[in-house]
Amino acid sequence: MSAFRKVCRWLHRELGFFAVGLTLVYAISGIAVNHIHHWDPNHTAYTETWSIEPPGVGETDVLAPLVLERLALDEPVKDTWRAGRELFQVFVDDGTIDVNLATGEVTRVGHAKRPVFFDMNFMHLNKGRAPWTGIADAFAGVMIVLAITGIFLVKGRRGLAGRGGVLMGLGIVLPLAYAIVQRFTQP
Amino acid sequence: MRRILMTITLMSLLLAGTALAKEKVYGKGVSEGEFTKISTILADPDTYAGKVVRIEGTAVGVCAHRGCWVTLASDKEEETMRVKVKDGVIVFPKEVIGEQVQVEGIFVVNKSEQKCDSTKKGEPEIKCTTILQVSGTGAVVNWK
Repeated sequence: MSAFRKVCRWLHRELGFFAVGLTLVYAISGIAVNHIHHWDPNHTAYTETWSIEPPGVGETDVLAPLVLERLALDEPVKDTWRAGRELFQVFVDDGTIDVNLATGEVTRVGHAKRPVFFDMNFMHLNKGRAPWTGIADAFAGVMIVLAITGIFLVKGRRGLAGRGGVLMGLGIVLPLAYAIVQRFTQP
Repeated sequence: MRRILMTITLMSLLLAGTALAKEKVYGKGVSEGEFTKISTILADPDTYAGKVVRIEGTAVGVCAHRGCWVTLASDKEEETMRVKVKDGVIVFPKEVIGEQVQVEGIFVVNKSEQKCDSTKKGEPEIKCTTILQVSGTGAVVNWK
């Protein structure tokens, strides 16, 4: 085995083990956010309805403490907002509570972070910015090294000169063809 | 090995510190200067059309899945201002609702007059709408 191939195998093996975690994060999150039109990959949602004694549609300064008293929430309130003559909104950590001032109907729409997916998407979409940008760049570098070293792992019929080369060509041609078709068919 | 562990520990602490920050800057942030009241802009939209404005208010609505817009409560009841940002450049998290948000961007007045003109006879009248919104370039959220 040539020294070059030995280095490739060493790099591919060591970096391959190291990259397993983040590769799974990016791949699973990639599928999740690809279907963002069909579902919310970050949150689960719930709706609750109940009634309180109607507070009436008077002045907000008077109504706000009355509504909060009648809601009797056992959690901190972030803010409140008079969205309309009959609509008063209370913002809490996990969502919004809509109070119909005239009827006393209460609708709470809340959300919770989807376990595992929220954190994977946070990393994948780099929502944290600054420090994660460096880590994501380094990971991209590792992926490049893995791709290049992978080409030279096997020689002969199953390597670059044979089946491996054909598969590699397909992997390059398919996205390239898609890009060309897109370029000439999209406005 | 000890050095590697030390480096990983330091990086984790740095990441945790950033994640815990109370004030978070999105996009280009907000430059120094006075904030214009949302009610002032909405009362006289033509004066502010096409100009850079700085506004602040409680977030009362947010784009459900993509975080590509946020609605801020005005200083006046029942009035809001929508802030649209470029997809992916700024992503407002769902949890932003109820938080104090400062935004800088260009105030845009969009009149959908074309739709009104294209209404044919016999068809139900399409209501002419004017969309007032800030095309946001940056924001700062003061997380509670």
